[in-house]
Formats: sequence, C-alpha cells, structure tokens
Amino acid sequence: MKLDTSGFETSMPVIGFGSNSEMLDGVSSVPSFDLPRTTDFDGFQKKSVEMVKPAKGTTTLAFIFKEGVMVAADSRASMGGYISSQSVKKIIEINPYMLGSMAGGSADCQFWHRNLGIKCRLHELANKRRISVSGASKLLANMLYSYRGMGLSVGTMIAGWDETGPGLYYVDNEGGRLKGDRFSVGSGSPYAYGVLDSGYKFDMSIEEASELARRSIYHATFRDGASGGVASVYHVGPQGWTKLSGDDVGELHYHYYPVAPATAEHVMEEAA
Amino acid sequence: MQIFEYNGSAVVAMVGKNCFAIASDRRLGVQLQTIATDFQRISKIHDHLFIGLSGLATDVQTLYQRLVFRHKLYQLREERDMKPETFASLVSAILYEKRFGPYLCQPVIAGLGDDNKPFICTMDSIGAKELAKDFVVSGTASESLYGACEAMFKPDMEAEELFETISQALLSSVDRDCLSGWGGHVYVVTPNEIKEKILKGRMD
Repeated sequence: MKLDTSGFETSMPVIGFGSNSEMLDGVSSVPSFDLPRTTDFDGFQKKSVEMVKPAKGTTTLAFIFKEGVMVAADSRASMGGYISSQSVKKIIEINPYMLGSMAGGSADCQFWHRNLGIKCRLHELANKRRISVSGASKLLANMLYSYRGMGLSVGTMIAGWDETGPGLYYVDNEGGRLKGDRFSVGSGSPYAYGVLDSGYKFDMSIEEASELARRSIYHATFRDGASGGVASVYHVGPQGWTKLSGDDVGELHYHYYPVAPATAEHVMEEAA
Repeated sequence: MQIFEYNGSAVVAMVGKNCFAIASDRRLGVQLQTIATDFQRISKIHDHLFIGLSGLATDVQTLYQRLVFRHKLYQLREERDMKPETFASLVSAILYEKRFGPYLCQPVIAGLGDDNKPFICTMDSIGAKELAKDFVVSGTASESLYGACEAMFKPDMEAEELFETISQALLSSVDRDCLSGWGGHVYVVTPNEIKEKILKGRMD
C-alpha cells in the first residue's frame, strides 16, 4: 500500500536536465513513510491510534479582532497523569507573519508545522509573493487528510496576516478545515471558551485583547488538570507576529485573587 | 483512566522528634476537571491520631465515617483513646472485610503512641500494613512523593523544620501531577499542640 505523497511534492518545475538538483535534494526526495511490517496491520493501527488518544491535553485559543489576531496557549505536556513538562512551546512560528498553535501529539504538530513552513517558503520562491493564510491552511489540511485514520493527532490553528487582512483557520487530523474568528482547542477549551465568549468585543485594543486571552488561558489551567505552566500570548499584526507575554499561571492566580490577610479570631480589646 | 485516578489525591506523613506531620493536597476532581479546591482528606480521630485517605473520594468519606463510629464505640467501652497501633489494626481489619469488593482508598495513619513516640503507617486498599520509621506516601502523586521525601527527609527533625520539609516535599511532588495539588493542608502534631496550616500552591 503506497501512501499518497502528492502533498510532499512541490509545485516547482524541475530545473535543468537531470533530476539531481542540489536545491531540491532533501525536499522532493522526502520519502514516503515506511509502513510497519506486522502480521496484524489493522490491530497495530488501532493500538497506535489509542496511544495518542489521551493527548490534546492542552488549552490553546486564537481570535480575530480589530487590531489583528491574538493567539495564546498554555505550556504543559502530560502523559496520562504525569506532567512531563511545564515549559513546552505550543505556539509555533511558521514564518515571520504566520503562527501555528499546537494541540495533540507534540511530535505530529512539530513535524507538520515545520513541513508547512518549508512548503510556504517554496511557494514564496516559486511565486515571488507570500502565501496567503487560506493557502497555507489548505496545504496543511490536504497533507493531514491523506493520513486520515492513521493515528495522527493534530488540532491546530493557523493564524496570520496576509493581503486580505487577518486570517484564522482551524485544521485537524481528520482533515477538517474551518475558517472563523474565534477558536479554542484542547481539553481546557470549554473553560477558555466561557471566558473568551463573555469578554469578546471586536473593537478591543491590543492590551484588552491580550488580557482577555491571558485570563481565558488562566481560567482553563485552573479547572483543567491537563493544562498549566506558562500562559503565552502572541499578537499577529500587519508587520508580523510579536510575543506579548509569558506569565507563570501559578503567579497569575494570586495576582487575580490575592490571598486576603487572615483576620484575627480573638481580638484583645481594652477593658471598659 | 484507572479508578484510583478518578478523583486524584496526594497524602504524605513524616516522623520527627517526638512529633509527626501529615499533609495532603486539596483538589477534588472528576478526571481532568477540577471541581473543588478545599477537599478534606485528613481527619482527626483524636488529639494524637490522624488519618489521611487517598483514592476514590466517596470511599474516603464513607470509610472515615465508619472509622469515627468504631472509635467512638471504643471510647465508650474502654473509656480511653485508641493507640495508633491498635487503630491501624482496626483499619486493616475493616478493609479486609471488603476483600472482594474493596474500598478504593489507601489510608495513611499517623499518631503519637506510648511515651509520645510517633507512629506512621500506610496500607493498600485491602489492608496490607506497611510500617515505616521515616515517611509514608499515597495517592496519584505517590511516585514523585517517594522521590521528594527520600531526598529531603532527615531523622529527628523538630516541629518547625518538619513542617518546612513536608510542605516542600508535597508541593514539589504535586507540581508534577495533573490530578492533585491546588493547595496543601498540613497538620504538625506535638504532644502539647496541633498546628494546622494551609499551603499556598500552584493552582494549575
């Protein structure tokens, strides 16, 4: 069974006579993935899907507003109940004007985002102009669709600024691709949606929007066991993305809800 | 997820010089969702005997109620408090009664026995006693707790230092566990007084 690897092939025409162009080595010759040699391929597939199922333990969110796109995420990686890291970068910088958020299997997200970055760069070189957010998300969605059912776990949001203005797409491992202006992905997303939806206005300043994003991530880390660590907030504007803040969620709690000084139980009073 | 990891918990007890400390986390969750951050896992049986229960929260509460009942009966008949070693045997017997449909908890018992000698022990869910001279742990964060206690424990600590040690061990262990944490609850017991403290921890 040969997997459909047309997603790997570039749109660049072959240069020169031979096919051995140094520029294309390592890219067009990206191999198709080896399939495991087992007697029970279906059972093996099922087990590998089960392996990543508990994943998507995270909270990421993104929304479009007047000044661009705000992207935020937590930084916890969990393996079942064990916290394997509190400092994972879940917002991946695809290129200076596009960000991708990571939810699901870290390996899957890191690989496919980097692959998307390569394809975007090749598009720029071939067409002498930047790829649109719509185009980039379509490339990713098509690549993931061809691996549908094989156990990839990717729930990502592609956020960027192109000629048409701010763009935000949600792409997942089922091959789904949705355009929208508010998304949250991961096990903590219901909690983040609650805060995000009630505080959202299109006409927000950058400070208000970043505070809304930070608060939503904080509330999700409080309620969801699989989210925590550091709340990172990025902003994508016409000049590209900038990282606005990375606040430790443990400290944010006491910033939002300071511990009231204890009142004394028995107060000594002057005898009348 | 396993049934012992349904609610999430962390309990630890440590021995000091004529004193002991027992600490737990404060989270009550339903798998990954946090429901409460003030759940009581450690309960007083009498002034020199505490029990901390980890595991399924409903069994924690029910087992605690049964044990308090049995201890009150004992007090009426014997006109004195139970010794920690006796209480541990009682808990073990009650757990083994349900050998084929057990209470899904792991108790940690800590008390001051004769001559104010500190006594700690833990049990599995069917009553296998494990006595220790230094520290005992239980709950979803137990592996991290073993590591932290092993590194931080020193014998014959006074009450103040014991409080610091057990708090640090608890907080650093639950910071590696998705299912426990959200604060800490520590009791340090000496022959003359019981000090109860709430710890400020990471709320994620």
